[in-house]
Amino acid sequence: MTLLDINGLKTYYRADNGWVRATDDVSLSIDRGETVGLVGESGSGKTTLAKSIIRLLSDNAEIVDGSINFDGTEVTELSDKELRKQIRWSEISMIPQNAMNGFDPVYTVGQQIVQVIRHHEDGTSKKEARERARSLFDELGIEPDRVDDYPHQFSGGMAQRAMIALALALSPSLVLADEPTTALDVVIQDRILDTIKEMQEELNSAMIMITHDMSVVSETCDRIAVVYGGRIVEIADTETIITNPRHPYTLGLRNAFPDINDDDQELISIPGTPPELVDPGEGCRFAPRCPFAEQECWEETPEAESYGDGHAVECHRADEIDHLQEEAGKKETWTEQDLGRPEDSQSDQPEEVMLDD
Amino acid sequence: MGLRAYVVRRVLQLIVTFWAFFTILFVLFRMMPGDPTSMFIMDGMTPEQREQRIAELGLNEPLHVQYVEYARQLLRGDFGQSFIYRDPVIDIIAVRFMNTIVLMGTALLFAYLIGITFGAIMGWWRDSRFERGGIIVTLVARSSPEFWVGIVLLSVFVFWLGWFPSSGMRTTGGELGGNFAARYGSVDFLRHLFLPALTGAIAYLATPTLLMRSTMLDVLNADFIEIKKAEGLPERTVLFKHAARNSVLPLVTVMAIATGSAMGGSVVIETVFNWPGMGREMVNAVNNNDYPLAMAAFFLMGSVVIIMNFVADLAYVYLDPRVEYE
Amino acid sequence: MSTERTSPTDRTETDGGTLEFIRSKLEIFEGDRLGQIGLGILCSFILIGIFARPYTIDFLNLTIPGLAPHDPAERAVGGRLESPSGAHPLGTTHMGRDVLSQLIAGTRVTLIVGSLAAFMAVFIGTNVGLISAYFGGWVDDVLMRITDIVYGVPFLPFAIVLVAILGSSIVNIIVAIVLILWRSTARVIRAQVLSHKQRPYVESAQAIGASHTRIMYRHILPNVLPLTFLYAAFAVAWAVIAEASLSFLGFGDPNMLSWGEMIYNVYTANAIREAWWWVFPPGICIMLFVMSVFFIGRTLEKEVNPELQHQ
Repeated sequence: MTLLDINGLKTYYRADNGWVRATDDVSLSIDRGETVGLVGESGSGKTTLAKSIIRLLSDNAEIVDGSINFDGTEVTELSDKELRKQIRWSEISMIPQNAMNGFDPVYTVGQQIVQVIRHHEDGTSKKEARERARSLFDELGIEPDRVDDYPHQFSGGMAQRAMIALALALSPSLVLADEPTTALDVVIQDRILDTIKEMQEELNSAMIMITHDMSVVSETCDRIAVVYGGRIVEIADTETIITNPRHPYTLGLRNAFPDINDDDQELISIPGTPPELVDPGEGCRFAPRCPFAEQECWEETPEAESYGDGHAVECHRADEIDHLQEEAGKKETWTEQDLGRPEDSQSDQPEEVMLDD
Repeated sequence: MGLRAYVVRRVLQLIVTFWAFFTILFVLFRMMPGDPTSMFIMDGMTPEQREQRIAELGLNEPLHVQYVEYARQLLRGDFGQSFIYRDPVIDIIAVRFMNTIVLMGTALLFAYLIGITFGAIMGWWRDSRFERGGIIVTLVARSSPEFWVGIVLLSVFVFWLGWFPSSGMRTTGGELGGNFAARYGSVDFLRHLFLPALTGAIAYLATPTLLMRSTMLDVLNADFIEIKKAEGLPERTVLFKHAARNSVLPLVTVMAIATGSAMGGSVVIETVFNWPGMGREMVNAVNNNDYPLAMAAFFLMGSVVIIMNFVADLAYVYLDPRVEYE
Repeated sequence: MSTERTSPTDRTETDGGTLEFIRSKLEIFEGDRLGQIGLGILCSFILIGIFARPYTIDFLNLTIPGLAPHDPAERAVGGRLESPSGAHPLGTTHMGRDVLSQLIAGTRVTLIVGSLAAFMAVFIGTNVGLISAYFGGWVDDVLMRITDIVYGVPFLPFAIVLVAILGSSIVNIIVAIVLILWRSTARVIRAQVLSHKQRPYVESAQAIGASHTRIMYRHILPNVLPLTFLYAAFAVAWAVIAEASLSFLGFGDPNMLSWGEMIYNVYTANAIREAWWWVFPPGICIMLFVMSVFFIGRTLEKEVNPELQHQ
């Protein structure tokens, strides 16, 4: 059953030299209890996409087109007040990258959990809310008495658990997790991911897991959407993305991260930087970095092509999958490629600048 | 280091600062030109009487003896006798000190209340017309010396509109007598208090406003602000309970420095409005070579500043749970 | 010494022309309306201050006329307490002196006090901060305790007492201001130097055996110089305010009439109620002057602290 249905979403930022198309014509739907991973480099627009869902955008950002339907409610049409009452935290909550900074340092963690519970549930007394915070802590493996501690008194892993407690305090139907484990060391990472999974299954919450780390999504997600240049360039179930991807960018990303099962694998990174998203114009946005780019790729933006079972790819050469997969496994394909477009059409290619998100 | 050790260290530091300040004070006033005894001669004293008087005051002793003696007196709360008033300094200064504290306390209170609110809103609505205008207004206020603000207010509200009395603390006089309630507990007093207090408030508004604004800008970038918004809390709650609450911390430290400038400012404001306080008394005492009185006033002003610095440090530790005790 | 913007590495002097150098400095005022206004006001005051009084060059037998129409100290150039007229655009004082002339002549005092006091205060403050942070240990302890003590001394009362002791002259006023004003620069520079001390370029300088003085003044100082300039701007403002307040209280230099002293004269002449033309011009001038310095300071601040830039 569909929980969230995003259709043709365009979220742009105003910049001095035009609109930065951080999310450009993105469609995505998520079922109840499902976990979807958004994978891409920083600056790809994945965070903007997630924040658009609760409209937590900075002042210079605007949802210019598209719809976000959450459980029958059109989020883009809600007033600020309705948004705060009906959607934020009660239905959709967040786990930030660095939990330590996610808590207000001058209040105890317990006070902050109690505050959000009581804000959304009129009848709940302070005492009841506090009891709930304590039992959440207990479930997440934190000593319940630590609700009275200040954020800085927690270790990184514990703070992340406390943040999960805060995120799940109102049993939301969707959790946006923005690189929830990047700041932690590897051993703790796995444990936190397990905890998130357990709790999520218990509450039957859906989750959007934003990360640049292929191994994180492959462990936790049902489906994976690969985001590049403000667009979802490939989406499929986790198995397909890992074993049978069709987009060159996905192939590249897979190369760049260690495969747990393959010790001898050589890591290959994708050369170049993410594209500048100010009025990008026609053509595939990955073309400047793509070892397989052809004339067509520079001139025409690829449409999403379906390959069955919810597998969709935006690439002109997705049909030549066998050849691409073989070539992409070789290091020289990525290192020896001739970056840049063919001579005849070198006119209006924007300079490559890192967009910080 | 634990909290207790920190406090102990800070108290020791306080004592050293006081001692150093006292020494500066002593040296300064012994350098003062003009014969402090000239006044006695003018009164038609014979040279013998004058010698006797100097001996009474201990002015013929060697400097180090005088230093120790003066320190001993201060510790007893004895500031000596005023040359002009011929009364114990403590009697003269106590009431005036209270008058100054009431005036400058009110001024600082308003400066901080207005400044914090103003600065918080300016930071919240950054890049708005309100923010830009606010910055200009604060900078203009900051550019105006206290006496200039006072003169403008006097000209507008007293000379032109005639809404407030121009000087003093009470229409009926008797500003230095009576108990606390009798002195400060009347509408007439509040009418006299308004303009000088407003002068101080305007003069000291800029620091809290601008500092509040800039720390707000920092705090608003913090992740937790985004989380609080995502939690669906109303803007007002995020602004005041979280953003402003975090931004207020650095202001506590500046509060002490503001008290310092307010002590200095009292000298000017009290002169403009003829406020019977310690600052104005100090100017008079300096002009009349009345050392004991001037010294006492100076000592009290410095003490207020030093103690405020101390209080601010401790308050900071209390307000910010993250603070390490160095 | 170069005043290029902060760079985390050591710098070498460039041989750019002076004009080019000034132009590169002025670039930070581009698109900053307040900064431009401040710069404009300040430049006007500087020009007025320089040409306030006539210059006589004896051997050329030449006199450059001053801007002030009358000798500010000359009595009865007009009637007593005359309101503004064609002959006296800002009226006259109770002694019949020309207010406009006094105002123009007073600019000079403000400029002298502002620039000298600020320079000296920032000079002392920067050195104290630099030495304190660089050497650390007991040197740091001693210097910072001294700074703490100076923070305990109320500025204006101290200046009053000192000027009363040393006598009301412009030099003594500047000394009194400087003795207090260095404290804020010292603290800020110390904090900044502490952070620079950790950087690789200092370590590498130490590794090749550069002397302490060399590391401090050739390597670290250029990097904290922008902050020094910012504090110099603030110091100018505070010095001018302090001088005005001292003069207003009657401790000004009797031989050099300043704006603050003009207002003191209004007070002592008991003319504050009627002679608005005598009170407001000096007050407005003080405000404008200090304001211009703060506006410029704001521009410098953005340069020093780029996080403020998005405003």
